[in-house]
Amino acid sequence: MREVALDIPAGEVTAIIGESGSGKTTLAMAMLNAVQPPGRIVSGSVKYGKVGDILAMDGRQLRLVRGDHVSMMFQTAQNSLNPLKRVGSQVLDLARSHGRKDTKAVLREASDLCAQMSLNADRVLTSYQHELSGGMRQRVGIMLALVLQPAVVLLDEPTTALDVLSQSEVLQILRNLQRARRFSAVLITHDMGVVAELADRVAVMYAGQVVERGRTQQVLIDPMHPYTRALIASIPRLTGDPAEARALPGLPPALTTIPRQGCVFRARCSYHPSIADTEVPVLQDMGDGHWVACHLAGHLDDRST
Amino acid sequence: MKRFLLRLARKLLAGIVMIWVVATFTFFLVRLMPGDPAAAQVESLIQQGYSEEQAKAVAGNMYGFIPTDPVPIQYKDYISRLAHFDLGQSTFYATGEPVSHLVMAALPWTIFLVSMGILVTFAIGVIGGVIAAMKRDSVIGGTITLLGSVLHGIPQFMIALVLVFIFYVRTHVVATLGPYDVEQVSPGASLGYIGNLAEHAVLPIAALAISGFGFWALAMKSSVVTTLGDDFILASELRGIKPSIRFRYIARNAFLPLFTVLAISLGFAFGGVIFIELIFVYPGIGKMLNDSVGQHDFPLMEACFLIITAAVIVSNILADLLYAVIDPRIRTEK
Repeated sequence: MREVALDIPAGEVTAIIGESGSGKTTLAMAMLNAVQPPGRIVSGSVKYGKVGDILAMDGRQLRLVRGDHVSMMFQTAQNSLNPLKRVGSQVLDLARSHGRKDTKAVLREASDLCAQMSLNADRVLTSYQHELSGGMRQRVGIMLALVLQPAVVLLDEPTTALDVLSQSEVLQILRNLQRARRFSAVLITHDMGVVAELADRVAVMYAGQVVERGRTQQVLIDPMHPYTRALIASIPRLTGDPAEARALPGLPPALTTIPRQGCVFRARCSYHPSIADTEVPVLQDMGDGHWVACHLAGHLDDRST
Repeated sequence: MKRFLLRLARKLLAGIVMIWVVATFTFFLVRLMPGDPAAAQVESLIQQGYSEEQAKAVAGNMYGFIPTDPVPIQYKDYISRLAHFDLGQSTFYATGEPVSHLVMAALPWTIFLVSMGILVTFAIGVIGGVIAAMKRDSVIGGTITLLGSVLHGIPQFMIALVLVFIFYVRTHVVATLGPYDVEQVSPGASLGYIGNLAEHAVLPIAALAISGFGFWALAMKSSVVTTLGDDFILASELRGIKPSIRFRYIARNAFLPLFTVLAISLGFAFGGVIFIELIFVYPGIGKMLNDSVGQHDFPLMEACFLIITAAVIVSNILADLLYAVIDPRIRTEK
């Protein structure tokens, strides 16, 4: 990954969207300073309002920030629980790990959250993970991410592992909780529908780089990068002919095949101007906070494909 | 609780059936021995001047059945005496002694060796395995893994013999073999006796630990490595869970699959300490089994077989019940 610059405005939901392998989860892990070997962070910084640069931290300091100021809801939230401990006692482990003296208050918070997600709090907190359904575990994952009232929550594909009905339920829950608690959220997904449902802002990633970002409405209604356009065009419509959905041909580059010079997207770009072979397009402000990294930014519609 | 008791009852019943099967097997094994040892015993008693009636009675006491009766009646007599915990009398090993007395005298030594041996072996093996897993990219981890593989490949009796050679034959660090020094102390609740006991137990337990270390270290290492890759362990790290609590998460989850093996190995160790008992001259079940085979003492031999079988079965039942205690998933499943 390189050249990822993102501001996460407080109290808003910022979505990061991209195909598999575009670096979404790696970015989320980097935001917790937890990039797994053999990956590593060569340079950069991840700064949070109150606590400062998390990449400069290690050991105890880093541990205390994780889960307390910045928490994460995992793609595999169903598997994020210790199978040998009741949910309630895992909440207590979390509270104790972050020096909460009033563990009863944390438990109360946990049951409040459960209740808001229409879970039977008493039952869930005294259950082991194998006694809960997939949707319930997912909600427990949300509860654990929010129970310490972090300022920033990373949602890594919060609905990918669920069936369609649970998906819309979990989205609804996330939206309600976010509105009620005003935490800042980073939503990582490959699903434009999820973005449209939840996000205030969106950043589109391709091959480890942000190619377009702006307010969700701007990006969805007036996409300026060819990749964003292709993504939107690939969504099957509920009304009309499903065949209208056009898949983007080709595959995103693997880590070893990312072009070292020029635009990372040019190989699959239907416009492919000759300048893209040599020059890296920089993110430029197209007005009103809508940024695009494309040589043809603003002129796509002038060109025939 | 009711379900637990039901489970226990079912397990115990299954255990008793298995013991019955083994008892039947050993009974017929003795009958099938060339020359029929029980009938030969009657012959030899008659030659010693007993009347035929007396000889049958004496042999009947020893074996639990009268050797000249038809086989089904012999079998019935044998099983019914077994049900009353009457194991018969020793024929040659300690002629006329009730076998149950001999077994009860030998059993504590075997239990002592097996339990201490497993405890020490398991403790150092598991700790070694955890270190090998945590530091698997360093020299320490590699050394433990290599050592484990090598030790796992050496037979137990070889290790025992090497220890005896170094510490008894060559250096005389240990003055006598056996559970305690008969010339210095006599059995009793004295500190001297207990100290002497502990001193003599060091070598056999070391032999058990050295030969068992490899298995436990390698098994625990692979289990810990598997657990470290589990999603919830990474999740606990990213949630900022304290290292001490995370360590417990890892240890308890990694330990689970080893627990069953531990309990079963406890049973097998009962039969397995035979070499250790022989080499270090401990009068336990294993040595008694060896001696009874050498002296054709069939009632005693049968009893030793039965005890070893019972140990395996009992430790299996124990493992099953304890597993439910440490793994909540077993508790609720049917």
